[in-house]
Amino acid sequence: MNRQELTVMADQAKTKHHHFSKKVCVCCGTSCMASNAEKVLEQVQQNIDALGLKDEVEANLTGCMGLCNQGPLVKVLPDHTIYQKVEPEEVGDLLKAQFVDKQPKKDKLLFADTRPEPFVNANEDPFFKKQHKIILKNCGVINPEDIEEYIAYDGYKAFDKALNSMLPEDVIAEIKHSRLRGRGGAGYPTGMKWETVYKYVNNQKYVVCNGDEGDPGAFMNRSVLEGNPHSVLEGMMIAGYAVGASKGYAYIRGEYRLAIKRFETALKQAKKLGLLGKNILGSNFSFDVEVRIGAGAFVCGEETALIASIEGKRGTPSPRPPYPAECGLWGKPTLINNVETYANIAPIILNGGEWFSETGTAKSAGTKVFALAGKIKYSGLIEVPMGTSLREIVFDIGGGIPGDGEFKAAQTGGPSGGCIPEQHLDVGMDYESLMSLGSIMGSGGLIVMDKSSDMVDVARFFMEFCMDESCGKCAPCRVGTRMMHDLLQRIVDGKGTQHDVDRLQELAVYVKEASLCGLGGSAPNPLLSTLRHFPEEYANRLVSPEVLIHQHLEL
Amino acid sequence: MPIITVYINGQKILTESGVTILEVCKANNIPMLTLCHLKGLHDIGACRLCLVEIEGVNRLLSGCTTQVADNMIIRTDTDRIKRYQRITVELFFAERNHVCAVCVANGNCELQQAGYAVGLDHIRYPFLYPECNVDTSHPWFVMDHNRCIMCTRCVRVCTQVEGAGNWGVMNRGHDVRIISDFNTPWGESITCTDCGKCVHACPTGAIWPKAVAQGQLTKYPEMIGELVEKRKLLQ
Repeated sequence: MNRQELTVMADQAKTKHHHFSKKVCVCCGTSCMASNAEKVLEQVQQNIDALGLKDEVEANLTGCMGLCNQGPLVKVLPDHTIYQKVEPEEVGDLLKAQFVDKQPKKDKLLFADTRPEPFVNANEDPFFKKQHKIILKNCGVINPEDIEEYIAYDGYKAFDKALNSMLPEDVIAEIKHSRLRGRGGAGYPTGMKWETVYKYVNNQKYVVCNGDEGDPGAFMNRSVLEGNPHSVLEGMMIAGYAVGASKGYAYIRGEYRLAIKRFETALKQAKKLGLLGKNILGSNFSFDVEVRIGAGAFVCGEETALIASIEGKRGTPSPRPPYPAECGLWGKPTLINNVETYANIAPIILNGGEWFSETGTAKSAGTKVFALAGKIKYSGLIEVPMGTSLREIVFDIGGGIPGDGEFKAAQTGGPSGGCIPEQHLDVGMDYESLMSLGSIMGSGGLIVMDKSSDMVDVARFFMEFCMDESCGKCAPCRVGTRMMHDLLQRIVDGKGTQHDVDRLQELAVYVKEASLCGLGGSAPNPLLSTLRHFPEEYANRLVSPEVLIHQHLEL
Repeated sequence: MPIITVYINGQKILTESGVTILEVCKANNIPMLTLCHLKGLHDIGACRLCLVEIEGVNRLLSGCTTQVADNMIIRTDTDRIKRYQRITVELFFAERNHVCAVCVANGNCELQQAGYAVGLDHIRYPFLYPECNVDTSHPWFVMDHNRCIMCTRCVRVCTQVEGAGNWGVMNRGHDVRIISDFNTPWGESITCTDCGKCVHACPTGAIWPKAVAQGQLTKYPEMIGELVEKRKLLQ
């Protein structure tokens, strides 16, 4: 395929889709699939035929629309009417009401069971109104298994632009200008990372995509890979061109079977069209991508462990420096970014870094995808500008705490993050603000807890997770997480003393500073942040040594 | 290699570049605690005893894996580092079942020496007392997991120097264990060459020859580094 053919294809695909006045999207993300979305899609297609609307309405499977516990979801475009919990046998009535009677079925509308007045146009619903979509823009709109549709929505246009009208230096300058920061959690400036890899002279460099999302309760990367795999691939291709790499690896965790399937389909389609391979679009740039499937180790999300895993070795981290940018995969300069970071690249190249940096805050530009979970009315996948306050996310978008529960804390960053208490609800969700509260942005997990949550047990839970997931290479993490877990368990069991808290505090700082990699370096965060924001919960649990001795003697 | 200047604990040192902080310290008689380091083997920075503070770096880095750079200001003797070294050694002792009084390596053990070096008089953390196997299936040697500190010197010497690859690591976290082949008895190994390098590489009494009584073990870990050097000469 050459440039002209790509343009022709884009035009053809656009014409094909513009031919239809309406579009029915059936969410086929993992969650909706689990509640029978495939049957719903089948019914939608049959009923459109039966109603004689074949020439006006097209039906498609799409990726995640964001409201995973309301699925299966069916969306009608361009009206943005979303129906929730659609059963296959209801589809006929639903489509008849929508397209023939022109009267949407009110009782099946999104949030019909929880909002007094559900919105016919879902974009007016507070859940969507406060969101700003860059990464998820086409997620839930296009068919993730169809490259033509991606191309119709300006897909691979950014890659074409970068390849044919920009030098690698220009691409890097544009990314730097956008102030995009790594979405994997640490927030390192993406442009600077690319520049470092670019500067190392080597005839073989690699681009790696980190899709080993391992935080409990997080599903941002999965949804992007399932809903718009080509956007990630395009980002990797642009990165490959910019840093001078000819080979890419997408490391996706093994549990994400649908994401792997869809990404592999995307690869196949791109290869078939010649968008991957030798001399892409008639240029002298060659690039190929392979999928590597993770085997379920949390630590393999750490970049050096991930690299070891791709090499076929035991997935354990190695000390940095040297950083992967200098000595990464098979000792070659390697660029490693998160799925979400790559998904941001094409929009930046297409619209310019300036456009991107207008969203978000001064230090954290753009948007962030969060997986909203826990004690919250509307959980799901959301994308908001950086700096959006936690209050807006929890109460405006998420609809607050269900029942008569009261907000207690929000946990961000998974096992590496911390808990944010009620008094800090107005904190803007950006890298620095979260850090100052003892938490981290992380990859975007956001778990809301109500007053029934026991914060010491929360700390114990996350410590248990880190203890189990520690690779066992370095002593502070291997033994330290176990010690901290046992001490926390003792406090949870009502057998802890002030002495245990003192030891916990000392160990936490030690493990944080002395560990080899980021797993140990952040494992104490849930403990430290609960100690800082909820000291009374610890104090209430403690007993005096005398009581402990008495208890012991009585037994 | 160009000559560069580094400052360690305030002392100005001229050294060639491309060497690690640990190598510079050794060459200049600056004490640095190590357990997983063994000359001749690829360093992995796992025991975290050689942590150093470097001006301008907000993390503590392991001296064995970090190369010196011009005008690097390094500290190996701060209170924080000393405190962390002590905790690390305490955790090593609490992790498995180290009983010096009945150990073959008593008096000739690198973990014991590290304990003396950090002034260990008692251990403040609860002992974990894990269940560990003692593998006596090999005709000459014993692998006692109770005394293993997971430095992986045996794994590395077997792979990098002997080239046999008998030893490996299994499981994660505090369940990690050194394994022979695919976790089969050492005596049944089809890869072990019975060379005994792991016996010398082991810093504690985890791997030892059967014909040794309590406190009688003598090891010669320097042999590994010498072997590597000799092989270079032969090439």
